[in-house]
Amino acid sequence: MMRKSVLDTSALHKALTRHAEISEQKLKKRHPKAVSLLEKAGVSAGNIRDHAAKLAATSAMAAAMLFAQPVAQQVFSSPSAKYASFTVDQLQKTLAEQLESILPQIVSPLTPQQEQTITTAIKDTWGITAVASLQNERLNRSYGLIGAEQHLPRFPGDSLDQHDEPRQEGITPGLGAWGYFAPSKEQLTQDLIEREKWYVAVQTLYLPDWNTRFRYLRDWYQYRKVLVVNPVNGKTVVADVADAGPADWTGKHFGGSPEVMAYLGLNVGMQKGPVILFFIDEAENPVPLGPVLYNGNK
Amino acid sequence: MAKIFYDHLIIIEEVIAVLDEHTIPINKRAEFLKLIDQTLHHEILDVILTHLPKEKHEMFLTQFHRAPHHPSLMSLLKEHVEVDIEKAILRRASTTKKKILASIKNHLKSG
Repeated sequence: MMRKSVLDTSALHKALTRHAEISEQKLKKRHPKAVSLLEKAGVSAGNIRDHAAKLAATSAMAAAMLFAQPVAQQVFSSPSAKYASFTVDQLQKTLAEQLESILPQIVSPLTPQQEQTITTAIKDTWGITAVASLQNERLNRSYGLIGAEQHLPRFPGDSLDQHDEPRQEGITPGLGAWGYFAPSKEQLTQDLIEREKWYVAVQTLYLPDWNTRFRYLRDWYQYRKVLVVNPVNGKTVVADVADAGPADWTGKHFGGSPEVMAYLGLNVGMQKGPVILFFIDEAENPVPLGPVLYNGNK
Repeated sequence: MAKIFYDHLIIIEEVIAVLDEHTIPINKRAEFLKLIDQTLHHEILDVILTHLPKEKHEMFLTQFHRAPHHPSLMSLLKEHVEVDIEKAILRRASTTKKKILASIKNHLKSG
């Protein structure tokens, strides 16, 4: 009979401690100034993950404190108060002007500072908290090109003529990345109809940790609400993630349902254009799918 | 677990999977993972700082301290490092994991 091996945890603890000490000494010896810089900032190299966790917690706490304020105080003390009387056209124009001064001239990845500034501009304009990184998850691009997608089959037997206009884009022969929205036509609710209507495709397949954290990420992204902004005209729509793509070779970074593209004004010409796509943090402030037509703090 | 921008190159799960083949008390397992994580961070920072020109160290460390998870850090490294930095990180992570896995193997005893 084979005897099972048992781990000598006490001896292993000593060995792993030794690995950590040796690697730390090597780092300090080779890069003393860099280690000293980090230590002055209150971080030891080996504990960078703890520091990252504290940053995430601080950010969550700041959001919680914001929402913990009385509503009236939030409205009157926030910069968005000045937008409360604006029409939707004025809000869109104001946002487009702000974004023009923040975004790079060429559609390219944003810096953390640019993303933060855009979050603030969106919050001021629409009263919606939209962030490039949510719960430590982020896409490879928060600013990129979106292209037109087709309708998705919502249930077995679904066909194009059962969808609302616009229909000229057609319906995909296959399913979206998360399958049917409902197991049958009878089980298709209004909520699910809205999910298909306002869906986007994002490049989950190119996430660096997609394969290693597949199960978690698959569930995390399914119907995840995102805010999509056309920076040229300021038009903004709340969408949900319901498909994966487009492929890298297309040169596009996101896909939009016929309704999303039409609302953003991108269903013309090449049927693509630059957009900002941020995750919506709706922990305290749920927002419905579809066009954003008013300041949420109004 | 908070993310660091090079996590996808380390794949610490390979070590965790081997550890989890054994019955280890929860607090002990957490201590092991912490030590392994520390070792990998020391090693990966060593690779990065070795290849990154010294005059760029402060800029990198400032941004790393501000947002350790942000993918723009890898773009920054690619811009200033002459070697393929992702490969260099992968190689060092792989060597380090092999040493750790060897330690785990060496501390097995017949039950």
